[in-house]
Amino acid sequence: MIQSLLIANRGEIAVRIIRTCREMGIRTVVAYSQADRDSLPVRLADGHVCVGPAPARDSYLNVRNLVTAGVLSGCDALHPGVGFLAENASFARDVREAGLIFVGPDPEVIELLGDKIRAKRSALDLGIPVIPGSAGSVSDADEALSAAEDIGYPMIVKAAAGGGGKGMRIVRSGNELADVLAIASHEAEKAFSDGTVYLERYLENPRHVEIQIVADRSGNVVHLGERDCTVQQNHQKLVEESPSPAVSADLRERMGNDAVRLLGGMGYTGAGTVEFLVKDGEYFFMEVNARVQVEHPVSEMVTGVDIIRQQMLAASDESLEIRQQDVHLGAYAVECRINARSAGRITQFISPGGFGVRIDTFLYPGYQVPPWYDHLVAKLIVTGRTRPEGLRRMERALSEMVIEGIATNIESQKKIISHPVFRKGEYGTGFLGEILKEGGL
Amino acid sequence: MDMKELYALMERFEKSGLSELVFKKDGEEVALKKVLSVPQAPPATPVAHAAHETRAPAAEPHVKQASDTDVIRSPLVGTFYVAAAPDAPPFVEKGDIVKKGKPLCILEAMKLMNEFQAEFDLEIVAILAENGKMVEFGAPLFEVRRV
Repeated sequence: MIQSLLIANRGEIAVRIIRTCREMGIRTVVAYSQADRDSLPVRLADGHVCVGPAPARDSYLNVRNLVTAGVLSGCDALHPGVGFLAENASFARDVREAGLIFVGPDPEVIELLGDKIRAKRSALDLGIPVIPGSAGSVSDADEALSAAEDIGYPMIVKAAAGGGGKGMRIVRSGNELADVLAIASHEAEKAFSDGTVYLERYLENPRHVEIQIVADRSGNVVHLGERDCTVQQNHQKLVEESPSPAVSADLRERMGNDAVRLLGGMGYTGAGTVEFLVKDGEYFFMEVNARVQVEHPVSEMVTGVDIIRQQMLAASDESLEIRQQDVHLGAYAVECRINARSAGRITQFISPGGFGVRIDTFLYPGYQVPPWYDHLVAKLIVTGRTRPEGLRRMERALSEMVIEGIATNIESQKKIISHPVFRKGEYGTGFLGEILKEGGL
Repeated sequence: MDMKELYALMERFEKSGLSELVFKKDGEEVALKKVLSVPQAPPATPVAHAAHETRAPAAEPHVKQASDTDVIRSPLVGTFYVAAAPDAPPFVEKGDIVKKGKPLCILEAMKLMNEFQAEFDLEIVAILAENGKMVEFGAPLFEVRRV
């Protein structure tokens, strides 16, 4: 079993990992930047090592300092958290070469899944439905035009190395294709140092549904049901819930089985997510996130399974504590991401609580939210026996929450949760854009 | 500029995304700097120093130093060695005068021995890190006096 863990991350995910490790008797050391000296994870962890100045490229992305910190502080494993280096195969390799366990899938698997074209091909080979698209990357406009004849419009141009909406562009007709291709490729080149793009049918207003997987080295691959992450703004998720109002028991079983087959087939270990788009009762494989995700607590609350704990067990070459037949998807859970809209000192913080309420955050009164990093400052998760009960509870919890000293999106989350279209559960990824047009947020 | 204005400026600067700010008014000049780039001399004004002071549980390694000395800090996470090999004499000792470009110590990271050199002519006032022990980013290594 892992004895001592370096956490190469910050904020709420670092706090989340420390909590499970404490329960498992694992010592934690958190790597932090000079801007995070006062942070909650630094206070909570058993040890801490400063790895660089505030800019992430010099601290949370500083491979040499992170690996050295892990080795010299006596750790036997490293957890990359989410974002930063979590899906960087060469980092995973460096961690291993330094003699540490990387808490995540093998570097070869990260590499395969990081290449969206290869990942899609793996799904196709297993007969998993994928969105119609170019067989591989497209390099020029002529090639794209001929591929477009088979795919049909509207189409979406995507970066092969992509994520976070960068290098993504919608094309509605053949005339715009050449221009859009050039822009998307340029954007991808700038964001990922790789201008390779590919084409896909653009599903108008689909639902974004993902399957949570945990897997160990002895071949146990278990899915924890789905999360619906359809409420997005600029491809950034804002509300996540499980079960999805758009997924039937039959659809869930088929998607779950396909996700298990896909990751099981490539020897995946630890926590991972298979993302699908769902439209009119059909589902299409999109991509795999080869790490734990921000919204993992939603599945934890529905199933009662601690996903970080399973990750730590799998990384220690131990068996998962659950098998598929132990997973019961009885309850409902929903998460609202609370994002900062400015940096500053927290002058007042009142955390919601009570029955069925969980909050994962690194805020405390007096804490200075630094301007350098991701804007997520808290995750508010509630459970209920049914969706209406859970959403009423979420409204109640949001109304209790007070964060002063910085601007947040709490008010806009209240509007989303109480919006009649959201309540009805019938909407697609364009939903938030429509509310925005109403002037609601 | 009175102290109140100065404090207000410091607070706004702390919250801003800026890493450096020079404010000139009526012949006065205030320089604020957020990110410590090491090794280098501490920021020129006491004001600038206050701008990145923190009340920290993981307090920035504090060093008692004379007013005319500088503290050289570690630019990386690594193991601190005073000599090139266990049986070799140390690069520097207390009281030594060291020319710019001469080695001060070795910082080992990922099996690489990084020779760490003096950025200016200096006198070693004190060696602040322990031989063979880990130093974190920003850890004080030497107290020095410019010569």
